Amino acid sequence: MAHQADAKRALDERGYQGVLIRGDNPLKLFEKPVRDRIVDSYYWKEQCFGLNAATLLDRAVELSFIGGTYGIAQKPTPFLCLAFKLLQITPDREIILYYLEHAGDEFKYLRALAAFYIRLAWEKDEEVYTTLEPYLADFRKLKRRTRESWTLTHMDEFIDDLLVKNRVCATTLPKINPRTFLEDEGKLEERVSPLGEELDELDRDDDDEGERSEGEVEELEVNGNGHQDSDSRRSAEDDEMNDAD
Amino acid sequence: MSERKGAYGAKSASDTSFRKTWDREEYAAKAAERDQKAKEEGKARHEAAAAGKKYIRRASTPEDAKDTEARKARLNVADQVGKTQLVAAGAGQGKRGKSAGFYCDACDLTFKDNLQFVEHLNSRQHLVATGESGEVRRATLDEVKERFEYLKRKREEEKARETVDLGTRIQVAAEQAEREREEKRRKRNEKRRKTKDGKGVEEIKVENDGIIC
Repeated sequence: MAHQADAKRALDERGYQGVLIRGDNPLKLFEKPVRDRIVDSYYWKEQCFGLNAATLLDRAVELSFIGGTYGIAQKPTPFLCLAFKLLQITPDREIILYYLEHAGDEFKYLRALAAFYIRLAWEKDEEVYTTLEPYLADFRKLKRRTRESWTLTHMDEFIDDLLVKNRVCATTLPKINPRTFLEDEGKLEERVSPLGEELDELDRDDDDEGERSEGEVEELEVNGNGHQDSDSRRSAEDDEMNDAD
Repeated sequence: MSERKGAYGAKSASDTSFRKTWDREEYAAKAAERDQKAKEEGKARHEAAAAGKKYIRRASTPEDAKDTEARKARLNVADQVGKTQLVAAGAGQGKRGKSAGFYCDACDLTFKDNLQFVEHLNSRQHLVATGESGEVRRATLDEVKERFEYLKRKREEEKARETVDLGTRIQVAAEQAEREREEKRRKRNEKRRKTKDGKGVEEIKVENDGIIC
C-alpha cells in the first residue's frame, strides 16, 4: 500500500485510477484555478512533497492560521495546501477521526483541518452533522487570513460555516441537506444545544423585556437579527432634529 | 606481382574480411529472450482483458528502491548568502556540472533559483538517481498516534523552556552553550581521528585566495 509523493499523476487528465469520493477524483473537490495555484506554490513543492498521514502532522502542528487564498496573486494558504494533500492521500476514517478528536484537543488548527476535510470528503450528510456538531462547543480562537487582511474567528464559528455556508476557504463545499430536512426524514435527532435550559431562559427574558418596555421606547424596535432596524434609527434621528429646531 | 595484398597493405585472405563478424549464438539468445518477453506480455494483456481491465505496461522499479519520504527539514536555500565562491571559467554547460547556484550532488546539476531546485528534487530524474521509488508508504493509525505523541512532547518541552524568570533563563542559556561546545568538541575530535597520526586537518592558508578586493 503506497501512494504517490506528489499529485502529478492524480491530476493527470488522461485518466484517474484511485479512490473515488462522490464518484469522482477527490482532488476535483477543489476548483481548477485553486488546484493550479496550490500545485504551483512553493509551500506545496517544498513542504508537502512525500507526506503521509503521520508526517502530515509535522506540518499541521505548525499551522498558525486558516484561510483560502490571499494577496493579489491569490496564493494558497498552507491550510489549503494541507487539505489538498489530505484529499490526495485520503487517509483511513479512523485516522481522520483521531486528528479531529484526540490530536485536535492539543492543536486547534489540526482540528479545523480535519473538520474541513470531513465536510468535503464524507458523503453521508447525517455523519457530517453528528461528527462535527460536538465541536460547536469548542470556543478556541482561530486566525483567518482573508484576501487582504486578517480576521479573528472561533472554532465554533468555523464549524458552523462549514455546516451552513456553501463557500468556505476558496472552496465550494459539496451540497449538504439542511439539518431540518434530515430531522424531518428521521435521519437525525434534534440537536440539543449545550446551553440547555439557559437558552429557553434567555428567550423568556427577551419576551418579558419586550412586553415591559413596549410602551416606553417606541424607536428601539429590534428586528429578527437582533439589530436595530435602520428605519427606526432614521426616525429617531428625525425626532432629534425636530427637538433641536 | 607475386603476392595478393589489400589496398592498404592488409594481408588478409579475402577482400571482405574487414567486415564485422557476427556472433550468431549471442543474437539467437537475444531473440529468444525477446520472444519470451512478448509472449509473457501477451498473456498478461489477455488476462487483463478477460478481467475487463486495461493492461498498462509499467517501467520496472529496481528491487532495492526505497520509499520516498517527506523532507526532514526545510530546504536551506540561504546558507550560501554572503559567501564568496570561485567558479572555474568553463564550469557548467547550462545546468550540467557544478557552477554558481544550487548544486545537486546526485545528478550533477546546478540550478539558478530555489523554485527550479525544489522542482528538480521532486522530479523523477532525481528520485531515480537517489534510488527512491517515488511512492510513499501509507501510515497506519499507530504511526499517526506515535507521531502525535512525539510532537506533543516536543511542544511541551519547548514550553517548559520558555520562562520569564531571569535566573532560569541564564541557566537555560548556559546549558545551551555547553551543549553547543560539546558538539564542536565532538566534531573536532572526529576530524582528528580521521587523519593519520592524529595531527588533524591542517589548514592551508594562501594569500589572497580568491577574495576580490
